[in-house]
Amino acid sequence: MFLIFQNKQMNSINNKEGGKINKTAYDIIKPKFTINNEKSKISVTANEGNFMNKNDILLKENVLFKSKDFTIYSDDVLYNKKKQTANSERDSIFVSEGTKIESEGFNIIENGNIIEFKGESKIILSK
Amino acid sequence: MKKLITITLIFSTISIASFARKVGETEITTEEGIEVFQNEKYYLLKKNVNIQSDRFKIKANLVKAYFDKDLYDIIKIESEDNVRLRSSKGIIANGEKINFSIKNEDIEVYGERSSLIYNSINMFSNEKIRVNNLTGEFNLEGNESELKTSTIQIFGSIINGEFITINEINEVQNLYVEDSNQVNIITDNINMFALRAKYNKKENVIELFENVKVIRGNETIIGDYANINTLTESYKVISNDKKKVKAIIINDNE
Repeated sequence: MFLIFQNKQMNSINNKEGGKINKTAYDIIKPKFTINNEKSKISVTANEGNFMNKNDILLKENVLFKSKDFTIYSDDVLYNKKKQTANSERDSIFVSEGTKIESEGFNIIENGNIIEFKGESKIILSK
Repeated sequence: MKKLITITLIFSTISIASFARKVGETEITTEEGIEVFQNEKYYLLKKNVNIQSDRFKIKANLVKAYFDKDLYDIIKIESEDNVRLRSSKGIIANGEKINFSIKNEDIEVYGERSSLIYNSINMFSNEKIRVNNLTGEFNLEGNESELKTSTIQIFGSIINGEFITINEINEVQNLYVEDSNQVNIITDNINMFALRAKYNKKENVIELFENVKVIRGNETIIGDYANINTLTESYKVISNDKKKVKAIIINDNE
């Protein structure tokens, strides 16, 4: 896993374990991460990111999880860089070849092997 | 900035376009989410699951949908908890659990009060019903299993057979029925009992084996084997002990 800080602003931030963030501020602009699993890499991008604690980063606005097989679009995703997990309680859209999934949030665990789509969900299979 | 606009446009386009099912598509909705297991190649669909395609509809509370090449390529659906399946070919199945193999057109229905109605053939069981729509094979297992058409009613703990479909009408071609207590076959005019029975459409013959009883109108014949012509409804009953074929004829006029 690697982490790229394209830009970093350190204004009004509480970056301690379990700390809260100032919603008007952000720690990272256009953060970019990679989740590695056995089969492929999932690149994670967003417009903004805030450190919640040592490992958790709250990704905000146009959050994108993209692998060679699928893309997930969402806002407000909590990414854990140590466990390489991602969790969102906001509406999400998953798109892959012939498949669209809409849900009320998602959870990526086991390096992307398991993707849980939360709440009322809909799948459209078009092949 | 261009990238941001592009992503925003993608979001908007997908949100608008992805709601309604079009012809050829499969739509799945759930109340409590979906888990996708990419290595194991299946979805887990939870609570009030509705699957709708051009070929079939499934309602259940828990569904495991296996895929092959990719997520869109569903090959088998295992549904549990109050399952109802309807196919465009006229199959209506209800059960506690239904396994549906999409490519092989194989349907297995499990549980008490399971039923599978396929045009003119009605099947009921308290354990298992299996129908393969490609080969026409069917199997019913469990006490009080029942197969019913417009002309015949069959009860047994094992009912195996084959049907063919002609002009959307399913016709049973052959049958094997057994029950450790009693097989019962009822036609318009004859009521038959035995431990085992065979039916062959080509030869128009029902054969009964062991503890045989044939009731037609006022006559009851008891023996060990019976051969019944389903066209003429004439029959022959044989006993292992040739002296012991028993006929009871009741005269209503007396």
